[in-house]
Amino acid sequence: MRPISRADFLKGLGGLAVLGLGFQFLRVRPAQFRVSMVGPSRQVGHRLRDLMKDGAASLSSFVDCGSKTVVIVGGGMAGLSAGWWLKKNGFQDFLILELEPQVGGNSSFGENAVSKFPWGAHYVPLANRESKYVRQLFLELGIIEADHDKEKPRYNELYLCHDPQERLLKDGSFQEGLVPKRGLKPAEEDEMKRFFDRVHELRETRGSDGKPAFAIPLDLSSEDACFRNLDKISFARWLKENNFVTRPLQWYVNYCCRDDYGATAENVSAWAGLHYFAGRRGHAVNAETNSVVTWPEGNGFLVSRLREMLADKIVTNAPVLRLIEDKEGGNLCYFTSDGAVSRYKAKFAIFCAPRFLAPYLVENYKLEKKPTYAPWLVANITLKKVPGGRGVGLAWDNVSYYGDSLGYVVANHQNITTRQSRVVVTYYLPLSQLPPDAARRKLLNSPEKAWSAAIVEDLETMHPGITADIISIDLWPWGHGMISPGVDYIWQERRQLPLNQGAVHFAHSDMSGISNFEEAQYQGVQAAERVLAQLEKS
Amino acid sequence: MIYPLLLTAFVISTCGLVYELIAGTIASYLLGDSVTQFSTVIGVYLFSMGVGSYLSRFVVKNVIATFIRVELLVGLVGGISASLLFLLFEHVENFRILLYSLVSIIGILIGLEVPLLMRILQDKLEFKDLVSQVFTFDYVGALLASLLFPLVLVPYLGLVRVSFLFGLFNVLVAFWSIRLFKNELKSSTFLNTMAVVLVLALTGGFAFSEKIMTVAETSTFPDPIIFSTSTPYQRIVITGNGKDIRLFLNGNLQFSTRDEYRYHEALVHPGMAALPQASDILVLGGGDGMAVRELLKYPQVKSIQLVDLDQKMTQLFTEQEILTRINKNSLKDTRVKVLNGDAFVWLRKNDRKFDFIVVDFPDPSNFSLGKLYSDTFYKTLKKSLKPNGLVVIQSTSPYFAKNSYWCVVNTLKASGFYTTPYHAYVPAFGDWGYVIGSQTPFCPGKNYAPALTYLSPESFNAMLEFPKDMLPTKTAVNRLNNQELVHLFEAEWSEYEAH
Repeated sequence: MRPISRADFLKGLGGLAVLGLGFQFLRVRPAQFRVSMVGPSRQVGHRLRDLMKDGAASLSSFVDCGSKTVVIVGGGMAGLSAGWWLKKNGFQDFLILELEPQVGGNSSFGENAVSKFPWGAHYVPLANRESKYVRQLFLELGIIEADHDKEKPRYNELYLCHDPQERLLKDGSFQEGLVPKRGLKPAEEDEMKRFFDRVHELRETRGSDGKPAFAIPLDLSSEDACFRNLDKISFARWLKENNFVTRPLQWYVNYCCRDDYGATAENVSAWAGLHYFAGRRGHAVNAETNSVVTWPEGNGFLVSRLREMLADKIVTNAPVLRLIEDKEGGNLCYFTSDGAVSRYKAKFAIFCAPRFLAPYLVENYKLEKKPTYAPWLVANITLKKVPGGRGVGLAWDNVSYYGDSLGYVVANHQNITTRQSRVVVTYYLPLSQLPPDAARRKLLNSPEKAWSAAIVEDLETMHPGITADIISIDLWPWGHGMISPGVDYIWQERRQLPLNQGAVHFAHSDMSGISNFEEAQYQGVQAAERVLAQLEKS
Repeated sequence: MIYPLLLTAFVISTCGLVYELIAGTIASYLLGDSVTQFSTVIGVYLFSMGVGSYLSRFVVKNVIATFIRVELLVGLVGGISASLLFLLFEHVENFRILLYSLVSIIGILIGLEVPLLMRILQDKLEFKDLVSQVFTFDYVGALLASLLFPLVLVPYLGLVRVSFLFGLFNVLVAFWSIRLFKNELKSSTFLNTMAVVLVLALTGGFAFSEKIMTVAETSTFPDPIIFSTSTPYQRIVITGNGKDIRLFLNGNLQFSTRDEYRYHEALVHPGMAALPQASDILVLGGGDGMAVRELLKYPQVKSIQLVDLDQKMTQLFTEQEILTRINKNSLKDTRVKVLNGDAFVWLRKNDRKFDFIVVDFPDPSNFSLGKLYSDTFYKTLKKSLKPNGLVVIQSTSPYFAKNSYWCVVNTLKASGFYTTPYHAYVPAFGDWGYVIGSQTPFCPGKNYAPALTYLSPESFNAMLEFPKDMLPTKTAVNRLNNQELVHLFEAEWSEYEAH
């Protein structure tokens, strides 16, 4: 009998490999869930573009809707807040024109058989003392129950984020909180502590003008050069100069920048980066300082309440085509609804769309430099059951140390039912790895299957086997998701954006440089104030 | 004959490693601390292989027959090892002795195999080829086993089936060897019969492994199961032994008919005795109808609204004769309305006011249950209470979970109630805690229903006293946004469960 030849041995090994692969194929079953791409309405955008191609010609025939004192263009958070402030001040003769079938903008939300869920903004931190408008609205909506003008108001606990708030997957298991804690070297731990000491000190620092170094809204921040000069360098450079270099800290800081600005520390200014950590000083008598208020539908809750208040003022499916100054210094506001062009004569317009759209819609408006907007992909994923995982259990915000996404937020988290059932999780992916234009092209050109595959791959690293529990994935691409506060944007470039052009006043969070509820609301209220002041004069 | 025999080396090493992994995994499942379990199992296993190898020198005659016998024995012991470990876990005094004995036996047998195989092959190959080839197949088999086990075998077959399957492989190798060596063997009848019997037995085990697992699970209940079902919310198991009927939800004892009267009398009567005018009552949780049974002892009661999440539960306690005998058909009483829904959600929409509210939820063992013990919940509860009304809350054990108990009391107080904590001894549970919430300071009443087995004004006075080891502790208020109680509860009960 002959011994086994090398060839036979290799054949045998090959056979084993084939066997192994066969098992692998058995293991990976094709995913059985529905994937769909929803809003924002691209058809409306395209229709708008087609209409505008004809230029003034298409505006020559219109239905005259008479006159309104104020027309608000856009029903996002700035537009709704402008309306809220006008109405609150006893002013009634205004309308809000919204392009989409629903108002809400970045705070839009959806609902399916399992839960409501956000399509964008999904929480608000406890309001600072200087965030007066936020506290005012929260009081009106019962989010703050008492002491809205004190250091520590009492919040409605149904709306405060229920415990457990956050968890992070690192080194094979979930830890509590998002600041990396597991497996840090002493040097990394020291640096982490030094960083938080530094930003907490900045949080309590006031400038020589008595204003906080970092305020919300940011317009109320100290004007001292020592703070404002931070806007002239990138956050990454600031970190390097201050010797914050270890990987866990870098990860955490970048996570926060991507979370709030859709950009990495390289691409936001040091002032903006530090604002995230040193700006939030809100307290509550019945919650910890880092608490937030949130709802299943995210900030869609605020949208719904504002929509109820302003029900008779809102016109949806009404894209504005053009704002043209008329001879008396007022505005002619053209918009379409049901395919026909309509027109309001308005004394004032408050333009609450992002500024990059102004050249297309506001006659004679020239934009010197287009601000940078970060593209995002948001996905709402319906799951058969609560995703498991080693370490601490499911929290509201669930993040992985690995992967490009920001993880997911559980929409049902705030429910007060004891039923363990299906869940909806909202998955956030800022496309911060590519330059914004390239990222936008990728966002709009990649097929939905490619996105869902990438999302599933990311989720599988967090929860092996989760694919079998997915019922559906709905995607929402945000081409111009949020303003990016790059170097020199907040304290230079955005201040060169005019507050108004004639009777057209502008209001949008891109005029702050930080895209969040507080800034959008502030800009909306400020524009409404300017209009009210003008009205008082005349 | 060399190929088949080398393939044999490959199969036996795969099987051997799989048994080792099964033992390590089950030990981790059942005993926890996987590092220790795997280390000790691997250590004992390898050592036993050494013992087996040593023992192989004493096999002088009938090497082939011994090899086949060993093979059959490995098939048997390895094949039933997983079932054996699961089934006996609850019944043996010291599980580790069973575990390591089993691992040793398998290790010794596997340790015998390779030397015997090499001796069978010694005349057929040169020594250097023999050693090289036998060990090559041996180690490749080990790699295959260690990859297949976590990726394919455990996820798709489960431990019990894997164990039977590889036992079957061992027996098949034996079967094959019998045929290969039929000329060398004097008589193969006995070995053949054994092999056939084992193939049948192991195939049977493989086919009925579900049944085996169920038996293993039910053996965690001390008495025979007379009814069990799974609902979307929980697993309901009812056991009985003729004298004592017990209800388990998700494996946790809810009542034993021997002493449930103590628990339910203590829950209901102190409040009712102080409310001679109470006509409208709300019961949250308590789908077993026992609290309702106690409430119906008061003639002034006109209506009882029961809100329980689980329809299956209330249905069982309305229809099953063995259960309605215990709750005296209370859920069928015309004064009782049963509603299946979420208590918190229902309360927020409710605008009826009640004289007495009985809150009988499961212990706050997870975050969704923790919400039902929050200050927000109690404030909501207060809105459904008449001005002179009372609430009573079952609030876990002030002995086993002292901080948890006082956290419930503290939370109720922070929600604007006057609190009256008390406790009773229920043998099936231990010392159990309750708290009455009132809107004016509570005065114990004397209007107890007639013919109670346990409670009287005097015994209630005693319940108000807390001995030194149960005195109030300083705890935070349980809020939705801190889930203080769930954290306390987990910490306190895990101490007891560890023992």
